[in-house]
Amino acid sequence: MRILNYAGIALALAAPAALAAQDIAIKNATIATITNGDIQNGTIVIQKGKITAVGANVQIPAGMKTIDGTGKFVMPGIIDAHSHAALEGGINENSESVTPEVQVQLKNDDPVIYRALAGGVIAANQLHGSANTIGGQSRVIKFKWGMPVDSMYFKGAYRIVKFALGENVTRASSDAGIDDRRFPMSRMGVDFLLHYWFDKAKDYDKEWQDYRAEVKKNPNALMPRRDLRLEALVDILHGDLKVHAHSYRGDEILMLIRAADDEGFKINTFQHALEAYKVADEIKAHGATVSTFADMWAYKAEAWDAIPFNMALLTERGVLVSVNSDSDERIRRLYQEAGVGVRYGNMPVNEALKMITLNPAKQLGVDKWVGSLEVGKDGDIAIFNSHPFSPTAMVEYTIIEGKVYFDRNDAVTLRKSVANTGPGGAK
Amino acid sequence: MSGVFVRSLIVAAGILAPVVLAAQAAPGEDGPYLIKGGTVVNADQRMANTDIVVRNGRITQVGPNLSLAGAKVIDAKGKFIYPGMIDANTGIGLQEIGGVQTMNLRQELGEFNPHIRAVVALNVESEILGVTRMNGVTSVITSPTGGVISGQAALINTAGWTWEDLAISKNAGIVINLPSAAGGGRRGGGGGRGGGPTGDPAQLAAELEQFMQASKDYDAGRAAKTTKLDLIYESMRPLFAKEIPAIIPANTDAQIRSAIAFGEKWGIRVVIQGGQQAFKVRQLLAQKNVPVILGAIEAAPGDADPYDEVYAQPGLLYEAGVKFAFSTGNGSNARHVPLHAQLAVAYGLPEEGAMKALTIWPAEIFGADKQIGSIAQGKLANFFITNGDPLDLRTQVTQVFIKGREVPDDDRHHRLYLKYKARPVTKITP
Repeated sequence: MRILNYAGIALALAAPAALAAQDIAIKNATIATITNGDIQNGTIVIQKGKITAVGANVQIPAGMKTIDGTGKFVMPGIIDAHSHAALEGGINENSESVTPEVQVQLKNDDPVIYRALAGGVIAANQLHGSANTIGGQSRVIKFKWGMPVDSMYFKGAYRIVKFALGENVTRASSDAGIDDRRFPMSRMGVDFLLHYWFDKAKDYDKEWQDYRAEVKKNPNALMPRRDLRLEALVDILHGDLKVHAHSYRGDEILMLIRAADDEGFKINTFQHALEAYKVADEIKAHGATVSTFADMWAYKAEAWDAIPFNMALLTERGVLVSVNSDSDERIRRLYQEAGVGVRYGNMPVNEALKMITLNPAKQLGVDKWVGSLEVGKDGDIAIFNSHPFSPTAMVEYTIIEGKVYFDRNDAVTLRKSVANTGPGGAK
Repeated sequence: MSGVFVRSLIVAAGILAPVVLAAQAAPGEDGPYLIKGGTVVNADQRMANTDIVVRNGRITQVGPNLSLAGAKVIDAKGKFIYPGMIDANTGIGLQEIGGVQTMNLRQELGEFNPHIRAVVALNVESEILGVTRMNGVTSVITSPTGGVISGQAALINTAGWTWEDLAISKNAGIVINLPSAAGGGRRGGGGGRGGGPTGDPAQLAAELEQFMQASKDYDAGRAAKTTKLDLIYESMRPLFAKEIPAIIPANTDAQIRSAIAFGEKWGIRVVIQGGQQAFKVRQLLAQKNVPVILGAIEAAPGDADPYDEVYAQPGLLYEAGVKFAFSTGNGSNARHVPLHAQLAVAYGLPEEGAMKALTIWPAEIFGADKQIGSIAQGKLANFFITNGDPLDLRTQVTQVFIKGREVPDDDRHHRLYLKYKARPVTKITP
């Protein structure tokens, strides 16, 4: 009996049939490759989870599961460069303002993941919160809904650490008395704190380099005491840990650029960066990118100069831009957020689509695998019933590595069957 | 290039500079105007090659081949002209920056405030007004919050010189938060500042009953000329006369049923606000002719609810014959109200229904359909011109008219856009 029971559990845990195969093709669809234009009446073939063909004249191998894409719009699976959708047990290590040694923990059963899939999202940067000047490390994951957490990790993605500037990290809206405040409580303090810690990190780095040189000559050389916090900062200095910095105002963005220049590290991505348009040239010169809200403003003082033209202005000045959700609601309709760049900044449609595909892929260091529809990349796609910026835009399928993780028909059918047989449902 | 974009460049180049300087944050130039050759699109009507004459703030003629000596002619060939869209629940004019307490004066002290008026406190220089109108949202409901009876909502235009100039209806309805016996009403809609009643729900419910009875008695007394004027109870009289509705926040089916019953008990018209689960009582709403101001469609459903429940609900209400409007609920994103409607269209609401819910239905719900809600002779000249379907994100709004004035795109966002677009490219050596 016991053996049988275990067998039953094993069967129950096995992936459903729809997820078993990693071969699938879509034919007769409009395909937005992002990197090589749109293909009308195109076909895309995914084998063993990878794109093996995409084009107008593509032969589908016999017997392959095929979706008829007539009238449909196929695009690379959407990527969210700023999410907290699947975080387990809090998003901030609140105790101190510098904590790059910690890392977010994930869960695999958050309904937000499923709902994001229903909006065509296949991967996200699960970031630490913005309570700290130097916060914790994030995880880039694929939304393999229901699979074990460690199989969701996006292998090869950047290691990313969250920085934060402005009102959140200074706790500007705190009612706490002056004696109960935490340093830093001003943007001036944030600037100093950054310099202070990176100076320490450079000392620490030198200590270890000296030791490594010394130990070759003298096996009995004394090893320095290991410090995980400083080690993470050294990784930032060496470019092994990429900085994604929560920021709003132009002044604080420029402050961080100069602090990084002074200390000798790079900012990979300014997150939010609602006033990035004011310092676009400085951001470009530093080599940083921007991941922003399409159009969120006036919800706090530092969001007062946010404009929906941010995306267009940055793009025009050559800064790579993505549009992110930072929200369990917006993650469901990131395609709509990207379209705001067309409405307000008149961005070319393909540039706008890049903001939720190739550009975030670059920011997360995963553009070798995702972000465009090219042979050799992962079979990660979103299939819409019409153009994602059109009035009727709805996601019908979301596919990761050839597996269908969201199917609109299944969702509706399953719902009806639950409604008919579930508790309280009419039989 | 979009019209907005082209126009912006012209403005930047200084061609229209004198106008813009004179009209910095102004509600726009008075007409008369002749809008030539566009396609006029009302919710239920599409008129190609149609002209519009605008004089003294109103549409005086709609039809083919119109002319008017001395009118400023706007060439709308190849463009589309839509009636101004309406966001049916905001705090625009009362609140500015969300996180700054002194800029959020939307709530008065006390629980029973039918005499509190939003309209007199509206800041015409609110940057949110300018930003809102530039996407074609020309009218909004703005209302007080908090307490059991929050006060009087106003139906306003999003451009004007004074709050009187803004107002279409100074008193469009009275917001009543029913204290929920289930405990849900304890902290109201948002909790704390801006929320509903605070206190023991059963106690508050009993107080509301007393207040309603006293108001009704007062109404009868005034009608019989036996009662002296009382400013607070006097404010309740338009409800009993059914001149205005009670705007009642209610989300669950039970709350909606309670709100409908409340209206029937006291003989007042009810408008449901929020209505997250209105689809569960859609037959009742249709049968009782109770309209719904839907809360944000850009919203997540409850954990156990279908992923598309919020998106699909407007389609279900439409099918059932419920009259509804869209709303964003705050203010700074009021201009996104067509994007809320777009999600509803994607999940089953016919586009005609979406346009009704953005224009003529909220006008009807608040008794202003003779003023706004469609492009028709005699109505306020509230409309916007586009290069396509306003529910398509690839469309740009190219011109906006409110109360017969051409609104300049000098809102905060365009000002910053033009300023930083014109920043000389800086060569930087790190």
